[in-house]
Amino acid sequence: MENAIEVKGLAKYFSNFRAVESIDFHVKKGEIFGFLGPSGSGKTTTIKILTGQLDPTVGEAFVFGEKVSKLKNSNARKRFGVLTDNSGLYVRLSIFDNLKLYCQLYDLPISKIDEALGFVNLKEASKKKVSELSKGMMQRVLLARAILHEPELLFLDEPTSALDPVNTLHIYEGLRALNKKGTTIFLTTHDMHEADTLCDRVAFLNKGKIQLMDEPRNLKKQYADSTITMELTNDEQVTIRKDAAGAEAMYQLMMENRLVTVHSNEPTLGDIFVRVTGGELV
Amino acid sequence: MTFSWKRVNAIFQKDLKDFSRNLAVSVVVFLPLILALFNGRAGENTITGHFMTINIAFTLIATYVQCCLIAEEKEKNTLRGLMLSPANTLEILAGKSLLSFVLTIIVIFFSAYLSGYNPPNIWMISMAIILSSIFYIGLGTLLGLVAKSVMDSSVIVLPVIGIFSIGSFVLLLVDKYPILKIAEYLPNVQLIELAEKIEVGAEFSEVLSNLGIISIWVIAVILLTIVVYRKRMVD
Repeated sequence: MENAIEVKGLAKYFSNFRAVESIDFHVKKGEIFGFLGPSGSGKTTTIKILTGQLDPTVGEAFVFGEKVSKLKNSNARKRFGVLTDNSGLYVRLSIFDNLKLYCQLYDLPISKIDEALGFVNLKEASKKKVSELSKGMMQRVLLARAILHEPELLFLDEPTSALDPVNTLHIYEGLRALNKKGTTIFLTTHDMHEADTLCDRVAFLNKGKIQLMDEPRNLKKQYADSTITMELTNDEQVTIRKDAAGAEAMYQLMMENRLVTVHSNEPTLGDIFVRVTGGELV
Repeated sequence: MTFSWKRVNAIFQKDLKDFSRNLAVSVVVFLPLILALFNGRAGENTITGHFMTINIAFTLIATYVQCCLIAEEKEKNTLRGLMLSPANTLEILAGKSLLSFVLTIIVIFFSAYLSGYNPPNIWMISMAIILSSIFYIGLGTLLGLVAKSVMDSSVIVLPVIGIFSIGSFVLLLVDKYPILKIAEYLPNVQLIELAEKIEVGAEFSEVLSNLGIISIWVIAVILLTIVVYRKRMVD
C-alpha cells in the first residue's frame, strides 16, 4: 500500500532544546495513525513539520510522495486538513461565517457547511457567534473546518482534548466514518483510550524519540503479563497464571460454583507507555 | 503561481464583516474626516493643510488599521489558518489589504471634499495617492507581522504616525540640522511636493521623480513584507 506520510531521520532543534530527534516512520494511505506521548514530547512539532509550518533541522518528510517543503501550492493544500493547538477562529463572526470563508477559499459549495457541522454535532448552532461558544464547541468548529473539504489526509492534534464524553464519542464515530471513506488520519494524543479506540497503529513518542511502534493489539499481546484475574462470590479477587496450575485452580473454583467473573490482564496502552518510557503521561 | 480573485474577495468580505463589528478599530476611520471638516470650516486652503489630513488618513487607516487587522489575525492564530489554506501568499496579502485600501481611498476622497481640496489634475494626484496607499498598507502589514499582539501594534505604529503624518514639518529644521534633509525623500514629503507642482500646472514628466521615489518605497516595503510573511509561515 502507498504511504501517505514518510519520515526519514527527522529532527528539530530549537537552540539547545531537541524537540524531535531523528525519527523514522510512515503512515499508510487509509490508516489511522496515532502519535502518542506526553506534553512536550514532540508531537505538535512533528505535525507542524509535516504541514509545512516548521522546517526540520535535519532529515526529510514526505506527504503523498512530495517533500513537505513543496506542499505550499494550493492543490497540495486541498489534499490535507489540519487541526492543531494553534488553529484559531474569528470570534466576532458566526460559526457559519467562519466556515463560509473556508468554503470560498477551497472553492466548495456552501452546502458543505451543513455537512461539516452535522459531523461535529453543531448544526443547530451555526448562527451563533464564536465569542459565545465554549472551548469544546470551538474545538468542534475547528474540526468542522478541517474536514470541510473532505481531505485525503487529516492531521489532528489532540482533537478531543476539550470535549465532553458524549461529543467525544460522536467525533470518534465521525472520524471512523471519514476513515472508511478513505481519509488517512494522523492523530496526536496523550489519551491512550482514544488511541486504542481509533488507531490502526500507534507510535510512542517520548523526549522527541519514537520508543515503540505497532498495532495496539500487537503491543498489548507483546506486553501481556500472562495472568488472569477472577472475581469470586465472596468479592475476593484471585490472580492466576495462564498455565496448567492456573487452569486447575480455575476449574476447581468453577466446580465449587464460586466464580463470578474472569478478566484477562491485558495491559492498556498507558501501562505499556509507562513501562517502555519509565515516565507518566501528562 | 495562480492568482484567484475569488479567494481575495472571500478574505475581503470576511474582513468587512469583522471590521464592522470591531468598534475599537473602526472608529479610527472618522478621525481624518473630522479633521478635514475642521480644516474646511477654518478656511485652511494650503496644500500643506490639505495634505496633513491626507497623510493622517494614510497613517491612521492604511497603516494603523491594517497593522491591527494583521496583528489580530496573528494573535488569534487565524492567519495560520489562512496560510494552511489553498490561498497563496499574494492572495492572502492582497485580500488582507483590500479593506484598508478601499477605506483609505474613500476617506481621502471625503476628506478632500470636506476640506475643499480641488486639485487641477485629478488623475496625477489619484495616481500618487494610490501609490502612497499601497506603501502605507504595506507598512501596516509589515508592522502587523512584527507585532506580537493588537496591543503591541498600537504602540509600534506610533513612530510611523509621527514620521509620516507630521514628518514634513521636520523640513523646517533643515537649515539648523542639515542631516534632516534626508526627510525630503519621505513618501509623504514627496506627495506634498508633487501636489504643489500640480497646483502650479506641472506636467506628468515634472512629477515623475516624485512618483519614482514613492514607487521605490512601495517596492521596498512590499519585498520586506513578503520576506517577513514567508518567515512567519515557518516559525
